[in-house]
Formats: sequence, C-alpha cells, structure tokens
Amino acid sequence: MNKISKKSNSGEVDASLRVPLLALFGGAAFWLVVSSVLAMIASIKFHAPDFLANCPWLTYGRVQPAADDALLYGFCIPAGLGVALWLFAQLGRAPLRGAIVPVVAAKLWHLGVLVGLTGILSGNSTGFAWLEFPRAGSIILLFAYLLLALWAMMNFAARRERALFPSHWFLVAALFWFPWIYSTANLFLVAWPVRGVVQAIIGWWFAGNLLFVWLALVGIGTAFYFLPKFSGRPLQSYYLALFAFWTLILFGTWCGIPPGAPVPAWMPVLSSFAAVLTVVPVLAVAAIAWQTLCGSTNCEPKGGPFCFIRFGLMSFVLSSLMLIAMACPRISQVTEFTWFGPAQTQLQLYGFFAMTMFGAIYYLLPRAVGFELPFPKLARLQFWLSMFGVLLFIVPLAIGGVEQGMKLNNPNIAFMDATKAMLPFLRTSTIGLLLILLGNSLFALNIFAMTFVWEKSLVKKAFTVVTAPLEKPSASASLRRDQGEVKV
Amino acid sequence: MSDELKSNISQPPDAGPTASRSTVPIWIILLTLLLLFLGAVYFDRHSGWFDKQVYAPYTSADELASYQPKSGEASMLAHGKAVYETYCGLCHGSDGLGKPAQAPPLAGSEWAAKDITSLARIPLAGLNGPIQVKGRDWNLSMAPMGASLSDADLAAVLTCIRESWGNKNGAVSADEVKAARAAISGHPPAAPNSPK
Repeated sequence: MNKISKKSNSGEVDASLRVPLLALFGGAAFWLVVSSVLAMIASIKFHAPDFLANCPWLTYGRVQPAADDALLYGFCIPAGLGVALWLFAQLGRAPLRGAIVPVVAAKLWHLGVLVGLTGILSGNSTGFAWLEFPRAGSIILLFAYLLLALWAMMNFAARRERALFPSHWFLVAALFWFPWIYSTANLFLVAWPVRGVVQAIIGWWFAGNLLFVWLALVGIGTAFYFLPKFSGRPLQSYYLALFAFWTLILFGTWCGIPPGAPVPAWMPVLSSFAAVLTVVPVLAVAAIAWQTLCGSTNCEPKGGPFCFIRFGLMSFVLSSLMLIAMACPRISQVTEFTWFGPAQTQLQLYGFFAMTMFGAIYYLLPRAVGFELPFPKLARLQFWLSMFGVLLFIVPLAIGGVEQGMKLNNPNIAFMDATKAMLPFLRTSTIGLLLILLGNSLFALNIFAMTFVWEKSLVKKAFTVVTAPLEKPSASASLRRDQGEVKV
Repeated sequence: MSDELKSNISQPPDAGPTASRSTVPIWIILLTLLLLFLGAVYFDRHSGWFDKQVYAPYTSADELASYQPKSGEASMLAHGKAVYETYCGLCHGSDGLGKPAQAPPLAGSEWAAKDITSLARIPLAGLNGPIQVKGRDWNLSMAPMGASLSDADLAAVLTCIRESWGNKNGAVSADEVKAARAAISGHPPAAPNSPK
C-alpha cells in the first residue's frame, strides 16, 4: 500500500475526518447493498409472484418501501453528510474538532436505519411514502442528523479560509432543510396526524422537498466542488451558481403535488407552476457544468471519480426534466400511476445522487484515510456496472410506463392486458437491478477493505510500539506520538 | 500495487477550487421571466384563485356555480318557460304577444293581473266566447290546456305568464293552484264577458 505523504494543513484536515468518514461511509455501503438486495426481491416478485411469498417479512408491500428507505436513509443521507463534512473542512481549511461526536452520531444514524428497516419488515411501517420508519427509528435519525449537522456547522463557523465557495451555500441550506421537513412531516403525519386529505398534501410536500430539493442541494453542491477540481478551470460562474441556488430553493420547494391530486385546484396548479419554473435552476446547473468542463484538459482514466460525477450531473438534468414533465397535466394524465414514476425516482436517487456520492467518496476517502483504494480496478468496473444498471432499469420502465399509461387510458384495453404488457420491461429492469447490486457490492468491498487496511495499520503500529526495544526511550516516545496523531 | 493505479492523489494538495466572476447570461433571466409570465397566466386560468370549493377539472367558482341546480323564483320561471313553450307558446307566442285570429296577447294583458283563481280558471277549464283583452274584443275558443298539468307545473307556467314580457304580477304557488282547482271543480267552462 502506498502511504500518501501528508504535509501542510490539508493532511491535518484529512486526518481529523478519518474516523467519522469511515463510520458514515462504512454503514452507508452496508445499507446500499441491503437496499439493492431488497429491491431485487421486490422486482422479481413482479414476474414470479410465488417468490418468497410465504415469508411475511419479505412480502412486496414491506420489501419495496424497505428498499427505497434503505437507499435514501441508509446510503444517500449519511453519504451526503460525510461528503459535506469533508467539503466544509477542506474548503474552510479547518480540521474537525471533537471528532468523537460525529462518529457516535454516525453510529446512531445507522442504528436508526436498522430500527426503521426492522420496523418496516416486521410490518410496523407508518404507511406514508418515504416516512415508513416507525417512530423510534425517526427520532433516532433526527437526533443523529442534528448532531452531525451541528458539528458540520461548528466546523463551518471555525473555518480559517473565510471566503465562501458556491458549494457552501448548497450544503449549509441542505443541513437546515432536512430537520425542517423531516420534523414537520413526522409531527403532522406520525405524531399528531392531521385529518383527511391534508395528510396526502404533507406527504407530497415532504417527498418533493426531500427527493428533489435536499438531494439536489447536496449533490449539486458536491459537484460544484469537483467540477473545477477535475477540469482545472474555475467554476463558470459564481453568479450563475448563485442564481441556480436561489431559483432551486425558491421554486423546488413548491413542487410535488401531482396534477391529478383530489385536492382544491389551486394546489396542483401552483405545484405545476413551480415545477415548470425549476427548469431554470436545472438549465443553470447544466450551463455551469457545460461551460466549466468545456475545453478541460482532464485525462482521467475511464470510470474514475470524474466519470461518476459527470454521469450524476447528466442524470440530474434528465431526472429533473422527467419530474417537470410529470407535473404537466397533459403528460401526467398518461404517466401517473405507471412505472414512469419509479423510473424517475430511481434516476434521481441512484443515477444522480448515489453516483455523485460514489465519485466524491472514491476521490476523498483515499485522501482522508491515507491509503490508495484497495481495488481501484473494481471501482472503475463499478462505474460501468452502475451506469448500465441504472440505464437498464430506467429506460425500459420509462418507455414501458408511457405505454402502460396509454393502455390504461384506452377503455378498449382490459386492465390485465395493460398490466401484462409491462412484463418484458419489468424483466429488463430486474437485470438492471442485478447490475446495480453487483456495482454496489464492489463499492462496499472497496470501503470495507479500506477500513480493514486502516485497522490493520493501526494494529501494526501498536504492535511496533509495544515490541520496540526499550533502550531507546526517545524513539519509542516519538512512535507513540505518531500513533496518537493517527487515532485523533 | 502497480504503478498505473496511482492516481493524481500523491501530488501535494492543491489550492481550493475557484469560481469565475462572469455575469449571469441574459437568456436565462429572459427565460425565467417568460416562464413566470406563462405560469401566472396558467395559474389565473386554472387555479380558481385559492377557492377551496374548486377542484379540477373545474377552473373557477363561476364555472362551478353555473352547474349548480337553481332554486327559488328563478328556477320556477325557467321551468314555467319550458312548460309554456310546450303547451301555450304555439298560439300565444314565445313573446307572449298572441296571434291575430288565433289567441289574444298575454304580455300586458289585464287578465294576467287578475286574482289567481280567475287566471287559473282559463287553463283549467278552458274559455269559450267573447273576451276583451287590452281594449280589443276576441271571440275564440280555448281548450282546457292546463287541466292535465300538475299543480307545480301549472303554478310555474302561470308564474311565467305573470312575470314575463314586462308583466310584474307576482309568482303563483302550487298551493294556490291547488285551491283554484278545487274551487272550480265541477263547474262548466265559463265565458266571462269582460274583466271585472
């Protein structure tokens, strides 16, 4: 293993983040694999209904939300928080103080996900989309998030480089966004449920804000850090990024209520209005990425961190355009209640956000831990597996969803015929999920191997210290200091 | 670990990313304004302006009101007009002006202003012989066109006659028609000579 030379401030910053990042990303990698296994089971049930049908814990109604939540709460959010912690420390050139608290918070977060997923699989789901975790799990998650966000904000306040970079706006907004929407939705839906159709409205509002606004804030904030890094050119430009930021949080937060919703007409109309206006931040992000990468002299090998982030940005633009299309009444008449929706969600969660996080983690984790990736070739292979997996999942389901919608709207076609026509598309999407599962396993393998290598080096160092000859007390003392520095 | 796997991370950490200060392109501002305008037009046409009663596919409170069933005198007039067109309009005319040598006018007729029993007697029992309407003598014969109508339908058509074409003589209720029907039952068709 090549030890990376650590000099200057950056090494100190990286070292301070080592243990929190390993705690956050290690659990995230585990839940990522769990989510793709659950998603595979759910997908197989569509063309083999007898599959695991006798096990109540693995029925479709439990497995599908468990897979979605494991991906979102198990992987996306802790990965995003870890990347945010690293970006704050790097951009502010300030090492993280009191790193034990984020480590405990990360463990707590993953415990919350464990409690929540067990709750869903044992049949104690709350029944609200993206809020299925039972109450105990939600409380642990919120508490862990607040701790992590507090530490990130303290690190942000203590930054030595005072000037702000566009990534700062996006990430700070995201840190505040999640506690706001998560606590509001949980209070009004789970703790003291509001009555009637207002429940559905709050559910749509929460899902729209979490899946579109929060993921976009973290993912785009991360991409804005890496675009200039990889291209070697400045971000194009500061003001366009500011424009994208404000239009995103201004218009994005109104989206989410579908045009066919059985609520007073002004709500879906306002939501469609806002959704069409989110074209503006999406185009602004696309323009920033295009202009920053145009003429870049990057010669990174295929499948490296840059490829992940570039694919993530393309998925962001495409998935947002799909979301905006679904907010238009004419299109929604066809696509609502079809496979088009799940395809869009998968592109947003996995194609955009998870891919961006993979790129960022593959870039930053070797720096933070101080070792090269144990299996860099497998990391590149993961890019191809994940990319083709996402494409094989979303392209058939998006096309099939439109066909399904047209058939459902045609009174001459029986419901069962319209449903059966989806089988070839569903089979292809299962193959896509299989590729995603393989890709996720390679990611987890790299993260776990890296943790193992780091732990082994700690043991080796401790062993050296213990077995060091006693006649040189000064050398032994210096070694002990080294070890202490690593453990911080 | 082979050499080709070493990425650029062994280089010394470089400076943080920078951002250029070029301005926001004008096309995106124009696009925002255009979308805001189109969105506002769409909102104006479809939202019902925050009315909690308006659901899709209806777009405004006015449109919703036009589908509501009418009540009171307006609905009675509309119903009476429909009955009038079926039973009376052929001779007395949709405009209530009557037809020469066929039927006397109802618009402005002093008969429409008489008490309800006298008025109801004409459609209930028919009318034969000379009659003076608006200063002119008519000597014709009318069958009991309203005898087969229900009390509600007859009340509606009488209301229509008393309240249309400039007549303002008040509405007629079904109970009044019922009373009139009872009062004249068994009596032969009358032939009043002139209004009293």
